[in-house]
Amino acid sequence: MRSVKSLATAAEAGRHQREWFADLRRRVAAGEPFALLNADVPHEIFRTMDIPYAVSQWWASLVAAKQRSQHYLELVRQRGYPDYSEQYNSVTLGSAFDPEPEAGPWGGLPRPDIVVGDVTGDITRKVFDIWGHEPGVTFYPLESAAENEVPVNWWELMPHRWEQAIGPARLDLLTAELENLVRFLETTTGRRFSESRFREVMALVDEQEEWNRKTRDLIARTRPAPLGVVDSIPSVMLPQWHRGTEWARDIAKRFYEEVRDRVESGQAACPDERARLMWIGRGLWYDMGFYQRFQDEYGAVFVWSMYLAIAADGYIRYGDDPMRALAARFAAFGDQLYTPPWSSEWYVKEARLHGIDGVVHLVSDDPRGSYFTARALEAAGFPVIEIHADNVDARTFGDEVVERVGQWLENVVLA
Amino acid sequence: MPMALAMLEEAYARRGAPPASSTLPTGDRTPVVGYVGADMPVELLTAAGLRALRLTGDPESGSARGDRYLGRGVDPTARSVLTRLLAGSFGDLDHLVISHDCEASLRLFYALRELRRVEPGTGLPEVYLVDILHLPHRTTARYNRRRIGEFAARLEAWTGRTLDLAGAVAAHDERRRLLVAAAELRRAVPARLTGRQFLAVANAVLPVAEHIALLERLLAEAGQLEEHAGRRVFLSGSDHDTPHVYEAVESEGYVIVGEDHGFGGPSPEGLIGSGGLDALAEHYHYSGPTAHRATVSERAAHAARAVRHCRAELFVAYSRIADEAPAWDFPAQRAALDIPAVLLERQEYGRADLTALRKEHPCAV
Ligand code: SF4
Ligand code: SF4
Repeated sequence: MRSVKSLATAAEAGRHQREWFADLRRRVAAGEPFALLNADVPHEIFRTMDIPYAVSQWWASLVAAKQRSQHYLELVRQRGYPDYSEQYNSVTLGSAFDPEPEAGPWGGLPRPDIVVGDVTGDITRKVFDIWGHEPGVTFYPLESAAENEVPVNWWELMPHRWEQAIGPARLDLLTAELENLVRFLETTTGRRFSESRFREVMALVDEQEEWNRKTRDLIARTRPAPLGVVDSIPSVMLPQWHRGTEWARDIAKRFYEEVRDRVESGQAACPDERARLMWIGRGLWYDMGFYQRFQDEYGAVFVWSMYLAIAADGYIRYGDDPMRALAARFAAFGDQLYTPPWSSEWYVKEARLHGIDGVVHLVSDDPRGSYFTARALEAAGFPVIEIHADNVDARTFGDEVVERVGQWLENVVLA
Repeated sequence: MPMALAMLEEAYARRGAPPASSTLPTGDRTPVVGYVGADMPVELLTAAGLRALRLTGDPESGSARGDRYLGRGVDPTARSVLTRLLAGSFGDLDHLVISHDCEASLRLFYALRELRRVEPGTGLPEVYLVDILHLPHRTTARYNRRRIGEFAARLEAWTGRTLDLAGAVAAHDERRRLLVAAAELRRAVPARLTGRQFLAVANAVLPVAEHIALLERLLAEAGQLEEHAGRRVFLSGSDHDTPHVYEAVESEGYVIVGEDHGFGGPSPEGLIGSGGLDALAEHYHYSGPTAHRATVSERAAHAARAVRHCRAELFVAYSRIADEAPAWDFPAQRAALDIPAVLLERQEYGRADLTALRKEHPCAV
């Protein structure tokens, strides 16, 4: 069972992440403002204003990788809050209650001045609002709005025709909320928002995601796959948290070049590739080795996870009005992954593009439309196996999962 | 039992059943719209001349199809409603309208929309989402006003007639006023209505005019109502679309004198008035505060006010499995209260863990 990060860009992204975090801690210690942001909110505004920030889900994934989730969930429980609810956000909340924050991973998460999250679901607003009650912390919520009728082919519309894909009601709402957010940040941090810097940041993001798109397309058409998801996830995810920097754009380019070199020299994740697998759901951060466990015995390689694919299809927004384009990036971001018909039809499109032989679907208690994803994939001829677990809470992951997946590979995918 | 109360009980027992067909003198049938969601602007349904039926689940009848389509991470009430919709339990519905009052309602909307697209054999009617949001900001107010306007236009397109908004709001305001008066009967010491009775009074399945007539009669007959001397409970948290939990709790000698969920009395208690769609949008923007849409501190402050208003002696927070928002509210609620408080968490649909309740308070009276 190997779980080696064999890509140079993955190693560099990991190194950069540590340096960036150490620098962030220094800046915050020196008195700069610090923002904690949910993954689906417009980081680009903070980037433009040079306000240091970290992403809640990144922190939760780091905590899970260090096997520390239980510690933070226990702190949440000690305050009387449920430890079985929305762990992805509550693990990060737990760090706010830590009597010894510096004992946390990488010296601990600094105390934020501002927390920004969209109010998806029933719990997220509560979690962040509780955080907002800690001394010196302000919670700035963004709405999570929904639309009646949407065109199915969002991945074709989004780059240029996002207005048509999302609809004006949601775009007007989020654009107004973001204009207000800028004013709020100008007022509370004293920093300026430069429109030309904003345009630069937006252009850098589009370029970064364009490189990811080329990488996704290359992996999709190459057999055997030049790399599996254990390699692609860090090379795409860590730079995703640095969207809008030249470093992130450049490493996305180098990631592409590295994959291209592998293809050209005939390297493969599993030269004896017999089955190309798709992983649907969030990353299994506490057991990344899981993804390589089926290579030796079955030649089964996880070639697809949402992280690279959503980078390729989910972020690019062109247009002359950068604030509205930014709103268009996030007004329906989660729908791309989780709301049918967008989600279900997109997974089918991606499965076809990658020549997928089987789909492993992580179903968490998170109330999202997974039946329709599985149904659409099966209707399109792709075998699907569902496994039930939470992605940061290892308590929910059973040993029998590996065995079940193995049997399914033998009896269904490779039969 | 006074006549009006008996008739309201009888109408409540018809919840979730197909409405008696109402055929007009012209031979046309009044179209029926099934709706889900505590922040549905029902005034617009009445204004469109539609028969509105609030869809409710049933903990006794299984929810296999709903579980399959929605997944087990969704509040079981929504899974039950979907199961019953697919089984045709609500009769012929001409339209479905769903509000975004909680995540479960939104997921229900998405599932219905997708089922219509990919499994047309399910025979589901057209489904429409009324996306009223609740952050306390002007940006949200403008969004809600737009959505209310779109919904009104859609109703006019469905029915081909102009809405009688003023008449509908006046009727619903009158019902609201009478329900607030009925809630006072329950808040009296001793209570003159049980929680279970109030649930029937508030959720009787009746056209608005008939509901108003029975509420007036109930108030006129108030002198005949029994007194209920049990330990006074305020019930907070998950929605109760059926009387199961009320019956379980009150069978222990408690009387539920107030609640803060979407099947209780009007909340807020204020009237909408004559401001048209603007006033309607504002009213629903600030509906609640519900467990799913309000902050922990709003809920705690509301709990403290409501407990005093109802003269409750015990605060029970109820959090159903896959409906976890109330469990997040509880620590701040308990801290804001000067009466004992107990959390019943991860409760099964239609059940209440009475041992937890007894442990907190060995004797109920
Ligand atoms: S099975 Fe695949 S991963 Fe394992 S050694 Fe052979 S080629 Fe490498
Ligand atoms: S246990 Fe004590 S407080 Fe509770 S009802 Fe009995 S006497 Fe009252």
